[in-house]
Amino acid sequence: MPVVNENRSSSEMTSARDKNNSEDEKLANEAVIEVENLSFSYDLGKTNTLRDINLNIPKNKVTAFIGPSGCGKSTLLRCFNRMNDTIATAKITAGSIKIMGSDVSNPRVDPILLRKEIGMVFQKSNPFPKSVYENVAFGLRIGGERNKTAIDEIVEESLKRAALWDEVKDRLKESALSLSGGQQQRLCIARTIAVQPSVILMDEPCSALDPVATTVVEELITTLREDYTVVVVTHNMQQATRVSDSTAFFYLGELIEYDLTSKLFTNPAKKQTEDYISGRFG
Amino acid sequence: MLDLKHTLGDFEDSLRNTRKEVLTMASVAQQNLGSAVTGLLNRNEDLCNDAIAEDEEVNQLERAIDQRGMEILIRFNPVATDLRMVVAAMKISANLERISDQAENVARRARKVLKKDAVQEVNLIGPIYELAANLLKDAVKSFAEDDANLALTLFERDQVLDKLHRKAIKKYTTLMEEDIENLRTYLNLIFIVRCLERVGDHSVNIGEETVYINQGRSIRHIGPSALNDEDED
Repeated sequence: MPVVNENRSSSEMTSARDKNNSEDEKLANEAVIEVENLSFSYDLGKTNTLRDINLNIPKNKVTAFIGPSGCGKSTLLRCFNRMNDTIATAKITAGSIKIMGSDVSNPRVDPILLRKEIGMVFQKSNPFPKSVYENVAFGLRIGGERNKTAIDEIVEESLKRAALWDEVKDRLKESALSLSGGQQQRLCIARTIAVQPSVILMDEPCSALDPVATTVVEELITTLREDYTVVVVTHNMQQATRVSDSTAFFYLGELIEYDLTSKLFTNPAKKQTEDYISGRFG
Repeated sequence: MLDLKHTLGDFEDSLRNTRKEVLTMASVAQQNLGSAVTGLLNRNEDLCNDAIAEDEEVNQLERAIDQRGMEILIRFNPVATDLRMVVAAMKISANLERISDQAENVARRARKVLKKDAVQEVNLIGPIYELAANLLKDAVKSFAEDDANLALTLFERDQVLDKLHRKAIKKYTTLMEEDIENLRTYLNLIFIVRCLERVGDHSVNIGEETVYINQGRSIRHIGPSALNDEDED
């Protein structure tokens, strides 16, 4: 994993991904994220917010996390790229998370590089107060890219991938803050994919968007799976059914059920899941 | 059935009313079939006319259930058991509508039979009707009580009905050659037997939908053995 500074370069990682892309479908479905017996606490282990979570996130698939507020789905998402490191009392109390085989808790893992490999899109779009172009180029510049032609190409490609290019190609120098909410969210997705992550985490990416912008982002999510592994936290169960291949249902810090989305929403195995998704939750 | 009520009262009411309408429709369809066959066996044309007239009520109920089902799908986006119930209710209502059509066909054929002299072999219809009516009754009961085990018994019982149906057709075909004067009557009785056999098939379909609601697994065109195969997988 490239997030361990001294071991592998970014280009090695890219070639490894290319190699994987040429593998058969079975390999394409291999787990990118492996969560084993994971427990997590926000208060140095006094209480576990997540308890004994086990799940594998398959490659090039969209996985949805659903569950009531406070069930731990966003917490788990933030464990994947160590966003919880910013909280002094937060810690993994048991188990492990492996991203492409490497333990993210390994002290040698650089969280900055980890977050480059595992990009994140938040509930509220958060473009930098810079131009549209500079927002997308930002990660590349931080990563040391100086070649303007290369940056131009990646900015254009990323904006195209984020289904935003046609709307902003003549406004690249304008402030990103002048874009609509939906456009800002897609700009944040473009910014994320510009640094070529393996995994994109999305924490309620459409909750602040109108229905049309939501549809555009949902369409984008389904196309992103061709090249990325996507994990999306959502409170909108129709959205989970529309965009995801697999769905995990969490309740009170535990993973209750994890299955193919089509199966989970038509014939869930657990009563708790059935009660929640059908709106019988007291 | 789920113990907890849905958080949305409207949704809960719509689901409950859909079930209620399916059961009302089943009741009318059963009654129509009973009137048609009783009209034939007791040579009572009024009962046959009732079965023909009442088919319209079943048609209306089918339209109402379809409309309610579509409204539920649009308004509440049901999932899991709720989704299966709505989809299955719409399919069950289509089967009940076909059963009522079969009752109407029986009644129309029966009226033709009643216009001719009575033949003793009309009595072959009785046991076939008993089997078909029991299949239908239990199919409806399995849906009403969400009883997949009862629904699964329908497949074998329908095969007994099929056997009786073949036997009766053979008998009436022979009689058509032996008793040419009553040829038209035997021909009408063959059509009636076929209608009753179709009632058995539709009852099995209703049972399949009950299994789908209860277990989330489709056994259509495969039969109950599919459940065992899936369990082994």
